[in-house]
Amino acid sequence: MRRALILVLLWGGIQLLRPLEATHGVSSQTLLVFGFLILAAYTVGEIATTVQLPKVTGYLAAGLLFGPSALGVVSLHAIADLAPVSRLAVALIAFLAGAELRWSELRDRARPLLTMLGTELLLSFAAIMTLLVVARAYIPFLTGLLLPETLVLAALFAAVAIVHSPAVVMALLTETRARGPVARTTLGMVLVADIVVVLLFSGLLALARTAVPSTASSGGPSFGLVAWEIGGSLLVGAALGGAIALYMRFVKRELLMFAIVVAFFGSEISRLAHVEALLTLLVAGFVVENGTKQGAAELLHAMERSAAPVFVVFFALAGAAIIVRDVLLIWPIAVAIVVVRALAIRFGCQIGARLSRAGDVERRYVWMGLVAQAGVAIGLVAVISEAYPERGSQMATLFLAVIAINQLLGPVLSRVALKRSGEIEVGPGAKGREPGEDVRGDKLTPATQAPSGP
Amino acid sequence: MSGPLLLILAVAVAYLAAHVAFDWLARRFLIVSGAEYLVLGILLGPQIANVLSSDVMEGFSPLITLSLGWVGAIVGTQFHIRSLVRVRALSYRVAFGEALLTLTFVGLVEFAVMHFWLGMPDWEGVAPAVALGAIAAVSAPAGIGVVARHLGRRVALLRQLELTTAIDALVGIVAIGVLLALRHPGHVALARPVTATEWVVISLAIGVVGGALFELFLGRERDEDRLFISLAGAIILTSGAAVFLHLSPIFTAMVMSATLVNLSPNREEIVRTLHASERPFYFVLLIFAGASWEPSLRAWVIPVVLYLIARAMSKTGGARLAARLTNTLPALGMHWGRALIGQGPLALALGLEYLRHPGAIVPSIVFTAAIAAVLLLDFGSAWLIHSAVAPLEKDQRTAPEGATS
Repeated sequence: MRRALILVLLWGGIQLLRPLEATHGVSSQTLLVFGFLILAAYTVGEIATTVQLPKVTGYLAAGLLFGPSALGVVSLHAIADLAPVSRLAVALIAFLAGAELRWSELRDRARPLLTMLGTELLLSFAAIMTLLVVARAYIPFLTGLLLPETLVLAALFAAVAIVHSPAVVMALLTETRARGPVARTTLGMVLVADIVVVLLFSGLLALARTAVPSTASSGGPSFGLVAWEIGGSLLVGAALGGAIALYMRFVKRELLMFAIVVAFFGSEISRLAHVEALLTLLVAGFVVENGTKQGAAELLHAMERSAAPVFVVFFALAGAAIIVRDVLLIWPIAVAIVVVRALAIRFGCQIGARLSRAGDVERRYVWMGLVAQAGVAIGLVAVISEAYPERGSQMATLFLAVIAINQLLGPVLSRVALKRSGEIEVGPGAKGREPGEDVRGDKLTPATQAPSGP
Repeated sequence: MSGPLLLILAVAVAYLAAHVAFDWLARRFLIVSGAEYLVLGILLGPQIANVLSSDVMEGFSPLITLSLGWVGAIVGTQFHIRSLVRVRALSYRVAFGEALLTLTFVGLVEFAVMHFWLGMPDWEGVAPAVALGAIAAVSAPAGIGVVARHLGRRVALLRQLELTTAIDALVGIVAIGVLLALRHPGHVALARPVTATEWVVISLAIGVVGGALFELFLGRERDEDRLFISLAGAIILTSGAAVFLHLSPIFTAMVMSATLVNLSPNREEIVRTLHASERPFYFVLLIFAGASWEPSLRAWVIPVVLYLIARAMSKTGGARLAARLTNTLPALGMHWGRALIGQGPLALALGLEYLRHPGAIVPSIVFTAAIAAVLLLDFGSAWLIHSAVAPLEKDQRTAPEGATS
């Protein structure tokens, strides 16, 4: 409560300073907003934990509260200025996520993981597509289209709608220090799902371009480009992972700075090589973890430290980007999609778990971790908007409304899942991760736990 | 290849080189690492390779401001009053005497240069002269630790040097902070213009009020990660507010962190957390400072050369005079001022801040002087300290035990 009061005072202070801004010359309020957003999101995140909500929800709520839709401390211009922070966050999240995956574990859990993922994605895709086709008269981007065109665009929308959020899952696992089958399966599923969805989306976009010709000069990426995006990500990621492994073997110093450099470098090289940054960093993390004897424990610890303020701002910016007015305009259809998607994920996971004879906790709780959406989904919507400027922008509005709801709902459900499955620290004797353990429960060495700075 | 990517690669390579080569050089030859990043920045900047073009630099502007703020915050942590009152008043007199003498002497010399050499009318040369005086006042503290490790103990002169470099930093930062406030371009959206004195008060108030609020915000937080997030937010907000108003981010961040460490029960944790992250900010600062350099269109050689000469004279002469006036010359030695000649990242930060200020006069000359001083003196700062400390240390070792106690 004390922090909330200080925050109000700081907000008042910023309002006092605003009239003193120079009326000519270059004056930037990006840093001012950035600093305030860190403190605001951090405070609301702490408040969220007191009411049993995940910090991530608090960060998002802070962004929403101080964003353009409410108090307006964070303007749309400031959100655009802070885009590099979001890119850095995605890179850190992807690397951390990749490094959490062990080949031996993946191999052992491949059957339940792939079966659950397959059934869940298939059912979600079919359910959302069916809903869109049935309710096409009420959906702006489908009105006035013939059935074949409706089917193609509905499929394209559904292909994006089934995507999950590795960012939320990773942030929650870091926050709650959860470990166990639900945490591991959820993480594995969201990561593999990203690859599957990008492939599915690329195929459907190529089909859509044939069935519904675009008025735009460039109708989206070709198959070759998409293939390079996936294959190139694997190649670039593996090379980056190899370089990091060499650094960890021969230098292994200043890990805090090195972690930031890795994230920036991976993000930038992906942009230049036209490959998917998320997948590249994910592969790099995976290679470092699995390709070296000593693993990436020390680097991961340094990355988690450097990622902490970045995560706070990343989710706050995601909250600030939610335009409440747009959500309110199409809320009935957006809510319907959210409900249908959540139900499809739930039944899909349960069917998959039953088919693969997965454990009871996985069958009951994994679906909750799959509801959140962000990152990749927003990127794919942007591709559609580029390919279909008019209908794509209508689709984007609906999709951003769906993401907004899932973004707020998803972290809460994820936390409930981890709590009910007994995988987070909720009291004495809980089997959650101890400080100094990684997500698998491995003990870090004393050197690992020491601050990595000078 | 893109600017940001080359920058990342350059930082990584330079960093590795620094660790592989300079760690060894520092141990073997008492050479302090740092200026190589500055050279790298100049090579990558618009004047040579243009990898870090003006557009790229503009994009990284918030990061540069943050680095300046971080540097200011680290300086501010040294001013914990309860620790400072344990030091003898005599040591402060020596330190303040030396710093103020340097500021005044270099300021006067440069004012004369601005007036007679560059032909600036009446008082126009005061601002760049004060800026150069403020930059001249600061000394590099990095070599003190290197020499202490080399000698294997902290002799009395090293303790005096630690205090003196802290006071030098204080004098330099306050002078620049006040100067930028006084030189504020004005033109705000208020009904009446804000006076220069009011800008100084606003600059100070952002730091003091910010420090007090952040102390309440942090409370008794001891978790290092949470502390890091809160401190990062506090420094970013404070330096962001300063830049937003065209004031000095180093000054406001220094006042904020000094207030914070004096009020907070978690002083040690705060200091540790800030220092744990200082190196990346120093690297960024040095590289961007190098890339920001551009040769002045006006005749810059004489002002820069005179700056270097006047500074060396005032550091050695001023230190000796201050010690003589306070009767501490026998303890500090005739040449203790030599140990203060080195200049490091703080001098560069002050120069960069002046360069970025919209109301600055001949910013390129001021900044070139700062760059020249760091390039010439940073590598050798530890050696200069050693040359001042070694004779005293030798005397203490050879003197009878009772004489040194």
